[in-house]
Amino acid sequence: MLAAGCTPAPPTSTCVACHKGLESASARHSDCVACHGGDPQARDKIQSHASLRGPANPSAPETWEEACGKCHRYQLERVKANIMQTNAGMIRNIQQTWEGADGKEYTTRGGKAFDPTGKAVETVPVAQLDNLSGELYRKFCSRCHIGTTNGDSYAAAHGSGCAACHFPWNETATYEGNDKVMKGKAGHSANHGMTPLPDTQVCSRCHNRSGRIALSYQGLYDGNNGLVPTKSGEAGPTMTSGARNLTHITPDVHFAAGMECIDCHTSREVMGDGYSYRNMYLQTEISCEDCHGGAAELPRYREITRENDEALRESRSYKQPVTSGMRMIQTTKGRNYANVFYKDGVVWLQGKRSGRLHRSKVITGTPEHTVVGHRRLECYSCHSHTSVQCYGCHTKYDKAKAGMDFINGEETSGAFSETEDYRMLYPFPLALNQRGRISPVTPGCQTFVTVAEADGALSKAEYIAKFKGAQQLRFAPFYSHNTGKKALGCVECHGNPAFLGFGQHIVESNSIKGTLICERSDRKPLDGFLTMTNGRVNAYSAITREHARPLSGAEVKRTLSVNLCLPCHDKARDPIYRKGINLRALDDTRHRRLLSDY
Amino acid sequence: MRWMILVIAGFCLTTSPAEAAHIGIPCSSCHRHGGSASNPASRVNRASGCTVCHRGHERVFDHAMGQRIGEKEFVQRSYARFDSGFWDKNCNSCHLKGCLDCHGDGWLAKPSVAACQRCHNGYFTGWDYAGRAPREDNMRYQRGIAVNGATFLKMLPDVHYSAGMTCGACHSMASLAKGEKSSKGCRDCHIPSLKVPEHRISAHLQRLECYACHSAWAPQEYGTFFLRFRDPAMKEDFYLKPGPSAEYLRSAYLKKQDVPPLGINAAGRISPIRPMFIAYYTDVMTARNNGPENTLLAAEWRAYFPHTVQRGTVTCEGCHDNPTRFLLEPEARRIYNLEKDGMGLESFWLQQGQRMSNGSFMDTARYLRMSSKTPAYTKAYVAKWKTFLNRVENSSRP
Repeated sequence: MLAAGCTPAPPTSTCVACHKGLESASARHSDCVACHGGDPQARDKIQSHASLRGPANPSAPETWEEACGKCHRYQLERVKANIMQTNAGMIRNIQQTWEGADGKEYTTRGGKAFDPTGKAVETVPVAQLDNLSGELYRKFCSRCHIGTTNGDSYAAAHGSGCAACHFPWNETATYEGNDKVMKGKAGHSANHGMTPLPDTQVCSRCHNRSGRIALSYQGLYDGNNGLVPTKSGEAGPTMTSGARNLTHITPDVHFAAGMECIDCHTSREVMGDGYSYRNMYLQTEISCEDCHGGAAELPRYREITRENDEALRESRSYKQPVTSGMRMIQTTKGRNYANVFYKDGVVWLQGKRSGRLHRSKVITGTPEHTVVGHRRLECYSCHSHTSVQCYGCHTKYDKAKAGMDFINGEETSGAFSETEDYRMLYPFPLALNQRGRISPVTPGCQTFVTVAEADGALSKAEYIAKFKGAQQLRFAPFYSHNTGKKALGCVECHGNPAFLGFGQHIVESNSIKGTLICERSDRKPLDGFLTMTNGRVNAYSAITREHARPLSGAEVKRTLSVNLCLPCHDKARDPIYRKGINLRALDDTRHRRLLSDY
Repeated sequence: MRWMILVIAGFCLTTSPAEAAHIGIPCSSCHRHGGSASNPASRVNRASGCTVCHRGHERVFDHAMGQRIGEKEFVQRSYARFDSGFWDKNCNSCHLKGCLDCHGDGWLAKPSVAACQRCHNGYFTGWDYAGRAPREDNMRYQRGIAVNGATFLKMLPDVHYSAGMTCGACHSMASLAKGEKSSKGCRDCHIPSLKVPEHRISAHLQRLECYACHSAWAPQEYGTFFLRFRDPAMKEDFYLKPGPSAEYLRSAYLKKQDVPPLGINAAGRISPIRPMFIAYYTDVMTARNNGPENTLLAAEWRAYFPHTVQRGTVTCEGCHDNPTRFLLEPEARRIYNLEKDGMGLESFWLQQGQRMSNGSFMDTARYLRMSSKTPAYTKAYVAKWKTFLNRVENSSRP
């Protein structure tokens, strides 16, 4: 940490002479040359800039070894293996959606890495993925890769490398700081002040598509896309990238309480922990239970006893750094949070940027959370207020048009375009996730592929790719980040088969029929993955991730059977739910008398 | 006009008239007028050629399809306050001009469902009968199968449509001429079976329209926007489906097509209701000059009969544990935050600030009575679920 980045700029620097007013990156990052390179003595601009790293952004992967990596080696090595840098999960999921995996592991840049077991793995650069899924990643999805700059997407622009998260970008990617030379120039951060702790807006620059968690978290919704209500006569009320308008929905309770993304998500999640994960959900180390406790297990904590505890280092930039002796709450992976601690019988979370203390409600042992049949539920199955679902993603690849390959930096033949069928927020289907727990699922993806050859002929038309051996659409386990103040009611979920995956529907005798139908079939619902015909449950779509699946017929029947109890026993704290439901109780004298006249 | 009569006669003789009833009738029986009134089926002469035989059918021009009084009055109390020419610009494409509008296919045939759907499409009842719901107006959603250039979401069609019944089966010409909505009601053909647990509840049969339960879905448009562009160049950033008027674009805050909300119709029975319309207006040029925009002109709902009938229904909770369906949304269940978007309403699913144009909303006290878990309700509820669950298998097919 005593390298050049931490020393002041030489007073005679021509950098400072020309870029008068440019903000210092931080008090400890005031030497231009240490980060940017260049010749600080040369008076000629071209000569002075000749050896710049970047040239504007030294933190980009091309130069980050010599720039940020000189001092921040630990962080850089983690970021290099980070899922946001490798995009391994995104590429893998696209492959599975489009062409099927080919046995190789692809990442944005390829190279050696270590998997979570410590085993060395060799990954292949995505530039070599020579098929439609490679094209889709390079021309569409890679815009949200932290290793490439996106300087032209309204409200979604970001720098490349460390600057993607640690420099502030505005909606138009325009410099608006005090350096007159740079003022008004596009493709730059809003100013030159480094932000050690990224705010929610930084995360929103990328996490506003696909699962759209940053939007749902803030109470924003880009569905429907009606471009109304207008704002000063323009499309509105708020516009974001891709000509999408954002309307307001009820935000996540944590957002409403003033919490930002990084208040829950640890730096090991957002910057990586040094291991190369196959999917985002494997790099994630937090869960609701960490702060709120599980049904039977209280939140776990560990006292800081060593001076090299990660929490001490990580909290240095927090409003209130943690200190030795504090009892830090642990993540699901058994590591310390740097901002959540246990004190006087209470779990407290400190807003990393705000310093505000939030008292966490611990639910362990409460009757509502010890319902026997709910042992397998993820917290957010009941506590999600909404869960965004995009139905029918119709993607066209037109070889007669040219599209920008953002990984190779060149325009090549083949451009993508996308249309959609339907968007909704509530109700949302549930299924078993990779942890064997019942979780909300969302289309992931319902991709229908059309490929137009250069002569206009369609070599694929509304094609559904094979997944797990069959042509089928897919749903993915999902936490929407739109947690409600109040959980779903018992009847709300048990009495509405849409929550089990039947989509919007009607119940007819012993059949459940979807009412929103897939264009490719008269029998299958578009917004679900189950139907019931003559008492038999049929599953049509796959749930992605290992071991994940829709509920079975027996599970569906068991869930719906609770309706026999609910009109009288309508509270989760009712003692009958402390043990498994005995439906034969309906035949005892008391119940028979109650139900006899009908 | 003798030559015209000859041409028509020649046409009659060289084609195969679908309606045998018109074969052998002298041409002049229908085509007896000349000049501008030469079209015997025209509204201009009250279809004088047709009504020689089809007496009284010209009265169809005096009723809803011919006059569209309801729609005109709505426009008068809403959009016409800002643009007196609104009706002619946006609403005039479904104007009944004569008998051939409906009977013109296949030469004086009885109208097919498709013939009715030339007007009864989009948000208007008729399209739903064939399983079609309007898509969102943004071009991102304007995709897929289309009829007459109009795309739609594929929905479960009405059972009567699937059985091959045309609109005319329930909407006879005689009923239309009389100004009646239909010639047959549900119970003219169907006797509610008491084997169905819900039918054994007398309140259901007395107070509900059959289609309050048996409408499987309904198109619902929440927040209908008409955006006025005095200069078409201003449309540039509005990637919306073009409409009939060069001066306007139409959009919506939200479209849904699940089971519709319920209210009380003019007959005092519980019926599906839907927004018609929660209407907003923006004059883009005015708004760009700091003038008003998103002006809420009306928040009106109508009781109606979605033509999406199925044997099945939603479960009991779909009504009895669902205050939102009666526009009594609890704040804890609110999703869309209209106030933050300056929409002038707290929620689309709250009665406050909204009205029914042909009935009333269900009041809170009645909803609470209806949703209370009386012993009778509990018994019927358990019986319903038991009947269903006894016939559900434990196995499934992946």
